[in-house]
Amino acid sequence: MDRNRKQRQLLALPYVLWSIAFTVIPLLVIIRYAVTDKDGHFSVSNLLAFSTPVNAKAFLISLEIALICTVICVLLAYPLVMVVRRLRISRMTFMLFFLIMPMWMNFILRMLALQMILSNNGILNMIVTGLGFQPLALANTKAAVIIGVVYDYLPFMMLPIFNTISDIGEDVLEAASDLGASPLSVFFRVILPMSLPGLKSGITIVFVPSMTSFVIADILGGGKIQLIGNIIEQEFTRSTNWNLGSGLSAALMLFMLVGMSFTIKDDILPSHPVKDEEGEKKEAPGGEGISRRAVL
Amino acid sequence: MENIIELKNVTKRFEDDGSAAVKDFNLSVKRGEFVTFLGPSGCGKTTTLRMIAGFDTPTSGSILLDGRDITALPPNKRPINTVFQRYALFPHLNIYDNIAFGLKLKKIKEDEIRKKVTEVLEIVDLAGFEKRSTSTLSGGQQQRVAIARAIVNEPEVLLLDEPLGALDLKLRQVMQRELMRIKKEVNITFIYVTHDQGEALTMSDRIVVMNKGIIQQTGDPVSIYDEPQNAFVADFIGESNIIDGIMVRDRLVKIQGVDVPCVDTGFAENEAVDVVIRPEDLDIVEEGAGFIDGLVTEVIYEGAYYDIRVMAGDYEWHIQSNMSATPGKKAGLAILPDNIQIMHKPRSSDEEIIEKD
Ligand SMILES: Nc1ncnc2c1ncn2[C@@H]1O[C@H](COP(=O)(O)OP(=O)(O)OP(=O)(O)O)[C@@H](O)[C@H]1O
Ligand SMILES: [Mg+2]
Repeated sequence: MDRNRKQRQLLALPYVLWSIAFTVIPLLVIIRYAVTDKDGHFSVSNLLAFSTPVNAKAFLISLEIALICTVICVLLAYPLVMVVRRLRISRMTFMLFFLIMPMWMNFILRMLALQMILSNNGILNMIVTGLGFQPLALANTKAAVIIGVVYDYLPFMMLPIFNTISDIGEDVLEAASDLGASPLSVFFRVILPMSLPGLKSGITIVFVPSMTSFVIADILGGGKIQLIGNIIEQEFTRSTNWNLGSGLSAALMLFMLVGMSFTIKDDILPSHPVKDEEGEKKEAPGGEGISRRAVL
Repeated sequence: MENIIELKNVTKRFEDDGSAAVKDFNLSVKRGEFVTFLGPSGCGKTTTLRMIAGFDTPTSGSILLDGRDITALPPNKRPINTVFQRYALFPHLNIYDNIAFGLKLKKIKEDEIRKKVTEVLEIVDLAGFEKRSTSTLSGGQQQRVAIARAIVNEPEVLLLDEPLGALDLKLRQVMQRELMRIKKEVNITFIYVTHDQGEALTMSDRIVVMNKGIIQQTGDPVSIYDEPQNAFVADFIGESNIIDGIMVRDRLVKIQGVDVPCVDTGFAENEAVDVVIRPEDLDIVEEGAGFIDGLVTEVIYEGAYYDIRVMAGDYEWHIQSNMSATPGKKAGLAILPDNIQIMHKPRSSDEEIIEKD
């Protein structure tokens, strides 16, 4: 048994090396840069730079966009997943169509295509004016960035939700409707609560990167939408102030860690709060048939 | 007693041109009755039950509840509840909330719900289990939660689809008695599905024997067992010797070339028939003392009786007797005329159906 465990630990070695090389070490480097100034002396000013007006504003816009995008993704993912389930599409087909096929097209290309579709005389406005409406001014707006982020991250919201929902047995849903639940109640009382683990991972997967997706903001926001990701990127590329960029990065990471710890804590605590203590203490009464009949 | 459920010419085809899973099904269930659908796998038991529950809609025919046509009513609008074979409990809810599910949807007051759940938990012998999660329960306990979750709603009819199928033999027998007790206590109409004939004979007021989507025979357990109406029922319910015979005249049948007295009348002279004889009705006697002789091929001691096979001509007879025999020796078979069942041959070989009168 012991040898077995050793073997398994050995198998994990490549993964451990990989994550040390590409996650742990870079992280340490970032932290080192974050807590020092240009001359290599210890300093927290890079971390505190998070609260300067420009950075704070970028952070708030990022937060706003990430929140809106996450909510839109959730609202779109559920109906789509329900349709996918109804169509009895297999997990493989689902992954192929929603995750793998979009990746065959380069991300930048997809974003540039979207930029052209949304541009003032793009396809979208051709359709809109063709239908007799006023043209939309989406180009280089927050809305365009939101559309881009949703377009890019929706599959990552759908996949974990799809996974939990496709695990729900048809008989469980039938049981719910058999007990009197309308299709809407079946969704809110069974499907939604049973898919919460998937929803949580979907939110984590979508929220974090959509806060920092500076490329989408660059292309679809036309440089007018400054996300915290854009500022960090500029510190590294243009101002070459690696210390400040790392400091902002580390502060952002800290923020997300705190945010995530709430969802994780949720998983550890019992998900069914005890209603009251009465039932716990009560002794099981012995065989007694009169009151039983009264109720049924 | 009035009819609570009526099925009228119900037919179900899953594909437009496919064969019928349930064919021209007619049945009336009386209020408070315990009716069992019994038949081999794939004979349409579940399909029939699902149509009563509302999960499937009949291709043609109608379903009445209390005289009201409910054929098109969705399951959540029917005062009918189901106990599923694989329990189908809600894994995200504890036992209390599982059982309270239906009551909460009916917007019943919280303290009323609490009272009902507590009482039904007593009925199914799970008092004090309110806060347990479903995954911590044994199969038998989960099954009892599934039953409690259904009966707490006081449905007009309770449907049970092989509810004991996943349990081991011992627990199954305990749960059979348990179910019969619960049935008495709550006095709800039960429609029960099983392919286990012993279970059907033990529990039911009335048994509906099905094969290939068609009702073969309907009757109380004793009449189903003692007077099977065709070879299929005889074969399916208990073990039987089923052998070709010719009805020489009233009260005389030719089996394997030997004329044997029986009590059946009303067949055409020299009509080809199925002769059904239960293994426990045959006796092992001295060679030449019975209606036929054969070679004893196998004797197995079963505790309560000997299970004996005797080869006579090209048919191997199956006998259950408290008299033993010696393998390799010749022996005779004896039968009382009363215990011979004569049946019409099915009209066509693929439709083992017989008219009920
Ligand atoms: N959803 C479906 N689509 C197509 N055919 C079906 C469907 N459900 C059942 N059938 C067919 O209908 C017939 C009857 O099935 P049913 O499930 O009612 O049998 P059953 O008597 O309950 O059998 P078992 O004892 O194995 O549960 C079978 O031939 C089955 O293949
Ligand atoms: Mg079935």
